[in-house]
Amino acid sequence: MAVDAPVRTSVARVASCALWGLEAAPVIVEVDVANGLPHFNVVGLPDTAISEARERVRAAIRNSGFEFPLRRVVANLAPAERKKEGSGFDLAIALGVLRATDQLTVDVTPLCLGELALDGGVRGVRGVMPRVRGALARGVDEVLCAQENAAEAAAAGARAVGVRTLREAVAHLAGEAVRAPAAIPPPAPPPRAAVDLADISGHETPKRALEIAAAGGHSLLLAGPPGTGKTLLARALPGIMPPLDADEAVVASAIHSVAGLVDPARPLLEARPFRAPHHTASHLALVGGGSPPRPGEVSLAHAGALFLDELPEFARHVLDTLREPLEEGSITLSRAAAAATYPARVTLVAAMNPCPCGHAGDPAAPCTCLPDAIERYHARLSGPLMDRIDLRVHVPRLAYEDLRDEGRETSRAVRERVLAARERMRARLGGTRRRTNAELTVAEVRTHCRIDDAGDALAREAMRSRRLSARGVHRALRVARTIADLAASDRIRGEDLALALLLRGAA
Amino acid sequence: MIALAPSDPSYPSALRDLERPPDPLWIDGLIDVLARPAVAIVGTRRMTGYGERVARELAMACAAAGIVVVSGFAQGIDTAAHRGALDGGGQTVAVLGESITTFRTTVRGRRRPLVPRIVASGALISEFAAPLTPRYWTFAQRNATIAALARAVVVVEAGEGSGALITAEDTRRLGRTLFAVPGPLGSAASIGTNALIANGFARALLAPDQMLRVVGATDAACAPESAPTDPVLAALRDGPLGVDEIAQRCRMGGAELRSKIALLLVRGQLAPLADGRFRRT
Repeated sequence: MAVDAPVRTSVARVASCALWGLEAAPVIVEVDVANGLPHFNVVGLPDTAISEARERVRAAIRNSGFEFPLRRVVANLAPAERKKEGSGFDLAIALGVLRATDQLTVDVTPLCLGELALDGGVRGVRGVMPRVRGALARGVDEVLCAQENAAEAAAAGARAVGVRTLREAVAHLAGEAVRAPAAIPPPAPPPRAAVDLADISGHETPKRALEIAAAGGHSLLLAGPPGTGKTLLARALPGIMPPLDADEAVVASAIHSVAGLVDPARPLLEARPFRAPHHTASHLALVGGGSPPRPGEVSLAHAGALFLDELPEFARHVLDTLREPLEEGSITLSRAAAAATYPARVTLVAAMNPCPCGHAGDPAAPCTCLPDAIERYHARLSGPLMDRIDLRVHVPRLAYEDLRDEGRETSRAVRERVLAARERMRARLGGTRRRTNAELTVAEVRTHCRIDDAGDALAREAMRSRRLSARGVHRALRVARTIADLAASDRIRGEDLALALLLRGAA
Repeated sequence: MIALAPSDPSYPSALRDLERPPDPLWIDGLIDVLARPAVAIVGTRRMTGYGERVARELAMACAAAGIVVVSGFAQGIDTAAHRGALDGGGQTVAVLGESITTFRTTVRGRRRPLVPRIVASGALISEFAAPLTPRYWTFAQRNATIAALARAVVVVEAGEGSGALITAEDTRRLGRTLFAVPGPLGSAASIGTNALIANGFARALLAPDQMLRVVGATDAACAPESAPTDPVLAALRDGPLGVDEIAQRCRMGGAELRSKIALLLVRGQLAPLADGRFRRT
């Protein structure tokens, strides 16, 4: 027999997809039904959930009115060398068994993703969006998935057919009851931010710092006695950040999809994420982890803001794990079984009390902390993490007279300035994947951060007095660049650098 | 480190006024500093910015007049007094409530770097030997030693139940002059000192030369640290503030104020705190 002659075999092939981090890899589910003692095995480095698929698939097939073959059935997930996880291969395996036994008479062409219920129902799975994007990149544009995942798959750009049961899937594939592809969910208007800057009285410098953080992506620390509005200020940040662009929305949504946090009706994120993990969070919760590695809060906040309230209460080793993502804009989680890289470009906003009792510098309530205790409290933060915080502002308790109503700017007005500043940054960074001044490289700082004479004198003085390292100067210049962008100025003026040094604490 | 018995000729004679003079007295540093005229500056550990400034200014005035500053090297006012004396180029004696060895091995934070400076120009002294665990009463007992060593005792700030009030009581018993620094009404750290004045137990200290006159130093060179003329530095006299608070106190704002603060920062006249406030250096 000639090698390339078509051979009639009982092997069925169904396309599916595995996920390592955000990286999607095609998996072909091959099902062979052969003579022998009744047996059903799944091979190809499956995890427990996939091995258990045998029971779900057998029951689902039987309970959908099909027949499970009383023969030797082997399902192979190719390529067999990489570990696969999750229940998303159930649908592909079941369709493969039905195809191999000719209960389904046509080949299965779409990408199949879904978990089976014992009664033959099809359930949704996590990570549909990145898997569908991976399939699209390889030219597969049709997806068969659970009804609840259909909108998400459609939003990723595929022709997605959602099914509720295995029977519906078979009927659709066989052409007996073809289902229409799911509609792409309409983009909703960006939701109103929870807090408008106009709702907050006073606090001119903290508001200014918030605006700078939103425009340039710089990290911000708000410190002050309890109840002075630190959390309120932080929650106003999403309302003044620019809207998500298409790329950012897809990537951020894909991360949420992997974490299983997608709203089935609105799979594409519309607003920038704002994540506020509690201070008891472990480092796995914060940067991600597990095997296989799942995204943590810093990745879920990608393209948005990560808010750490009560910063010194976080365990120090937990905070230290944030150093790499803050510097690189991504986090690579390496485990014995697999490594995954998740994007993690966040605007960090942290809040803290000035001392353990919270009242240092508070005219309304005396501080009861011993000086050494305050020092220890601050020392919990010192070092590399604080070095990466560009804006530090004190949020004082305001007297009643300061709570005026006139002249407060709305978030909308501030956002206009932020958008204009981002536009200037984009013109400057055109052609790179970076978007904000916080991401300027050292070489770019040299070319783009030109300062006027007053600023030059200040920078010279700072360097001469050795209060500022070269690295500190660069970080201050990035912030000054953002301040100048907000003022629509090409050159960094002396006052811009002064404000940057002031907010940085010139350390 | 040496130990002196009361019978030793170099034993500080002022301590013989005590009912039970420390026996022996452990000394780490210069012995002759204990024979010189001294003022004790003591106060609460939970000091305010006001107390820190006053303690520092009084200690600097003593340093300028050549008077030794005695204190208990606790956190807060005591440490501010020792540091003020050292920064003013004067001598200072720290009377510890635990053994010198224990203290030197356990002290952390802002007090630690002061230890070698005190030993170089003054002395650490203690009446307790090494294996003793510091207790509340050991600190109370050394307060009498502080009072005995000084000709005048100044309580800068003391809240209700502050250990500095025990020093005040010892001072009265020993017949030394007792001063208390009047503080703002409503300030928890000044309740004790204001009460001392109100009850007539202590004289209100209104200017440093009052205290210097008692020890016989009337040197005019002992003017306190001149008040800063820079409005920003003046606003920060009584403790650290955030930018908006500085703006409020200086009645100044905008780019002008920010440039001024930035300049003071890079010149090192201001130092940033971790919480975004600034303090004078």
